[in-house]
Amino acid sequence: MLKSSALAWLPLAIRSANRVLGDQQPMTANGGTDPYPIPWLDKNGSHNQPAGANLEPSHIYHFKGRVARCSTFTGMGTDNQGNRIAFGSPTTDYGVMQGEYWGARAAQQATFTHI
Amino acid sequence: MFRGLAVPANQIHDFHPPIAPSGLYWVVPVPERGLAISPDGKTFTLEMQNVPVVDQPRWPALDSIATPARMTFKMVWKSTGEPVRYEDPSKHFRFIGTRASCQLEAQVEVPSIGFSWKSDPLNTSKSDFALIGEEVNGRYYDI
Repeated sequence: MLKSSALAWLPLAIRSANRVLGDQQPMTANGGTDPYPIPWLDKNGSHNQPAGANLEPSHIYHFKGRVARCSTFTGMGTDNQGNRIAFGSPTTDYGVMQGEYWGARAAQQATFTHI
Repeated sequence: MFRGLAVPANQIHDFHPPIAPSGLYWVVPVPERGLAISPDGKTFTLEMQNVPVVDQPRWPALDSIATPARMTFKMVWKSTGEPVRYEDPSKHFRFIGTRASCQLEAQVEVPSIGFSWKSDPLNTSKSDFALIGEEVNGRYYDI
């Protein structure tokens, strides 16, 4: 008796779900193609890769390709008020990664920069 | 950017892309032809215009306000030829390349506060650490 009552709503629920999903096209569900961060965290709890000797140059995990990395910039510039303002510090770092990475369960090709 | 010495108390602007929902840190796609690599592989030139970034002067404070900004830049890496190899099997990465020099010129704008800044020419900047080369990591490390 209880079973029969408990299941009595099912046909209505299925019809309702079909109405909601009726307009949607079949699709894959493999995750996004955004690259994965390097898993290890830095001292601030972020997926940031410091630049330096024996440290990994890429910011993307599951990656193979060309990389360039740099840090500890120094330079000068001028703002729109004519003030001379320096840029760069030991943590001012940039990088570029070009090649293949793994995303959405497949190999992807792209170029990314860390700025 | 700093007024005076490059110490946190003197920082007046800090420009970078937002952190992605995945945790990917200050990384943005480079448009086609944004990166030019010389035929001998010894010079990388990266140029991008009007990249959406944020200005967070109080970075890395968690409550640092992020103001929308734009950044245009050119960066040039040149290999010195000195070989470098970094590998850490426990972290599944291997880098093989060379040391390099790197120079940068850039412009930034923060429209909402009427601020803009332009660096001196490329050849007046320098970085104390730079590399170019090839890397494998993650699933590709063991293949």
